[in-house]
Amino acid sequence: MISSGSRFYRKVGFGLRADEDVPTDRLGWALEQVKDIPSLIWPGQIRSVDEMNDIRTFFLSAEEKLEQNIKDPTELRTKRETLYHQTGRRYFEPYELAIRHYQSVHSNKAVFERFQNFWGNHFAIVDKIKLATFNNGPYHRETIRNQMDKRFADLVMATTLSFPMMRSLDNFLSRGPNSKFSKNKKHKKNVNGLNENHGRELLELHTVSPAAGYSQEDVINSAYILTGWGLWDGTKEKEGKKVTFMSDMHEPGTHKVLAKSYKSKGWSEKEKGENQLAEFVEDLCANPICIDFISTKLCRHFICDEPTKQMIDHIKVAWKASDGALPAIHIAVLEAADRYGDAHHKFQSPEVWLLQSARMLGGNWPGSPDNFEYDFKQNPTNNMRQPAWVLEEIGHSPFRAKQPNGFPDHGQAWLSPEYLVRRLTLSQSARRIGLIDKTRPVAGMIKEAIARNFEDGTFWDELTAKLGSQVDDKSLCVAFLCSKEVLQS
Amino acid sequence: MIIPRRHFIQGSASLMLAGNWATDVLANQRAKKNLIVIMLRGGMDGLTAVPYIGNNQLSDLRPNISVEGGQKIDGSFALHPGLKNFKSQWDDGQAAIFHASSIPYTGRSHFEGQNLMETGGISPYAENTGWLGRGMEAAGMKALSISLPMPLLLRGNSDNDNFYPSKRPMPSADVMAVLAQSYHGQDGLIEAMSKVRARPVAMNMGGSDDPDIEALAKIAARQMAQDGGPSVAVFDLGGFDTHSFQGGDRGQHARELKKYDLAIGSLKRHLGTSYDDTLVVTLTEFGRTVAQNGGSGTEHGYGTALLLSGGLLASSRLIGDWPGLKKSALYEGRDLAATIDARAAYASIMGYVFDRDHKAMVKDAFFGADLPDLTKQIFG
Repeated sequence: MISSGSRFYRKVGFGLRADEDVPTDRLGWALEQVKDIPSLIWPGQIRSVDEMNDIRTFFLSAEEKLEQNIKDPTELRTKRETLYHQTGRRYFEPYELAIRHYQSVHSNKAVFERFQNFWGNHFAIVDKIKLATFNNGPYHRETIRNQMDKRFADLVMATTLSFPMMRSLDNFLSRGPNSKFSKNKKHKKNVNGLNENHGRELLELHTVSPAAGYSQEDVINSAYILTGWGLWDGTKEKEGKKVTFMSDMHEPGTHKVLAKSYKSKGWSEKEKGENQLAEFVEDLCANPICIDFISTKLCRHFICDEPTKQMIDHIKVAWKASDGALPAIHIAVLEAADRYGDAHHKFQSPEVWLLQSARMLGGNWPGSPDNFEYDFKQNPTNNMRQPAWVLEEIGHSPFRAKQPNGFPDHGQAWLSPEYLVRRLTLSQSARRIGLIDKTRPVAGMIKEAIARNFEDGTFWDELTAKLGSQVDDKSLCVAFLCSKEVLQS
Repeated sequence: MIIPRRHFIQGSASLMLAGNWATDVLANQRAKKNLIVIMLRGGMDGLTAVPYIGNNQLSDLRPNISVEGGQKIDGSFALHPGLKNFKSQWDDGQAAIFHASSIPYTGRSHFEGQNLMETGGISPYAENTGWLGRGMEAAGMKALSISLPMPLLLRGNSDNDNFYPSKRPMPSADVMAVLAQSYHGQDGLIEAMSKVRARPVAMNMGGSDDPDIEALAKIAARQMAQDGGPSVAVFDLGGFDTHSFQGGDRGQHARELKKYDLAIGSLKRHLGTSYDDTLVVTLTEFGRTVAQNGGSGTEHGYGTALLLSGGLLASSRLIGDWPGLKKSALYEGRDLAATIDARAAYASIMGYVFDRDHKAMVKDAFFGADLPDLTKQIFG
């Protein structure tokens, strides 16, 4: 079978749907999708970062009160269940995944979503203290998405000063050892002192990487610059939820990182803290090692595990010329994928593979938005919870990174017998769970998908010849979705 | 009390057995021996697992997170109260501790550190295989990892499988056979598929969605106890990166230690007599700072403790060269120093379990690094 299609549509996006024509200019098709921020096509309710943060805070306080006040275990269990229903404790994560997947499978600008998901993983929030449950979805689709027509440095500032990052990397507990707060005798009894966690990851994971050769002293000074940024909103809730600069806790003076001194400048204390951090982040983002680190990571994510210098340089040039403008960087990635990608294969991460399967085979995934309307009075239905369950099964729950470095970009990391088992078994159920169109014959849909998304359909001719004419639809799904050609782009 | 800097092997059983060393080794060669590695990601705090109690130095530096209800093992050290199974194995002469030990990495990055703890090298991201994988490949061993990914630690060995329970049914054998043939040119897929196809059907049935560590340990134990089953198993636990609210007797670090403890308890129960021929050892990227930080947690540090358990140990013992907790004795004035390269312990353990000469083991698994033979200190 000769095909006019291309792997490119899966390398940079989620493939072409059966109702999409093969574009005459594949690069132009891709570039159109990243020039601005597409609106979300999900017709259901979209809750803001702040709204979801309120719900989380309410949940945590209410749960704590229940645990303190109710001693009878049966009563506690019942009351807790009611609270879970009221606050959508089991609802919001799959709901956010549904918004994300709906956009990836059904929107006409799905290439953009690949970039949003890349940055969401680059600035990963670890799965703890209910952040995955309430915050991480909105963090991806609002905090990160809203910066994607701005500069990389803006994205770093926005994520650094986001609630989930402040909370998960502990900066809200960090106090400058010489700050007014620490020097105040009244606070001696409190736990005071520096917390290095965020200062280190800002360098190591988010910007310059260890290749910059920073020292422990640099890490401490990076943490000094971050002191003062914490969580406070004047309420008596269990923890503050508004990211605020508190000059009393800021380590005063000049702090030196990677041989540059950052002075405290500005009219007000708040302005001083903000300026110092902004200047620091600007420098980190303009550092050639940062540009190299992230350009390489982008190529690895989209093109192949071991990107060539040509690919990486193409991104670096665009980065420098645009002062780190994200649309320019995204365009350069697409150009590099178009120019050099055909010669390289990329083993796909489980979530990308899942969404490509749905898009190529006309899946009603993640299901009709109507099915996600929730009354907050009972457990969410299985249909509502399915997106989260399926992702857990294939080992890739994007809001649940175990560590702040997120999920791996190397394809090899996703290869193991057990990972393969999960994809095999899921492919077997693909039709039942609506990942592919239930109403049409499988064989025909696969042919249409190949015509759009592969240069060459010979692999499928060979596979089907070996499977024989008696093969059932489930086996056809498994053979196609777990073929080497679909697992790789 | 002042602790002597040389604070070495405790327990007299080891000395009594030393004379029978040669016959002991021969006896051990007859049974299939097992090695189980439990990775503790995030930087396990050796001073929470095995706190120093010789004086108040530690509790003074950790006013909010010191371990109060430790289970004393001698005048200087206690075990965390959550390590109940470890303590009972200690009392049975089946546990050992390397204190003030670490892989030779002082950069305090999790991801570099985890890379090195698995590769066994000294430059981060320079190797694509793990020390255990290389050591096993040379010895011709079979491994099972209880995790969804295949850990870097095991890569380099050609006979690796991994497992994590799931519920859905497998596709037909025919379609998997056809796929297997079509994977030519993609070695990773060929390898993975050959393992999947060789699995007994029962292995993929009846799993639970969220198995606890004891259930996972039971699965591993059953696989290892089978004829021709794996001799090496790897577990991957996380959550040790406690920059805030670390806790002492209870709390985050205690909860994670408890999971490790439940794992070794379950392994012992379900391996039955095979536990006599088994050694379980922990692996982490670094220890944590001696003093608590802003946030009642600890920062990334250096020296930590390696926990060993299993019937292959001749007696319980604390092995190490305790550097002390005085500021001048700490690494860069903040971290517990490491006086033993943990890789020497791993090489010695592999040599003993795989019946291989220490030098050969160091060459195969650790690039011929200068690592002393600690076999007698551990097993003698």
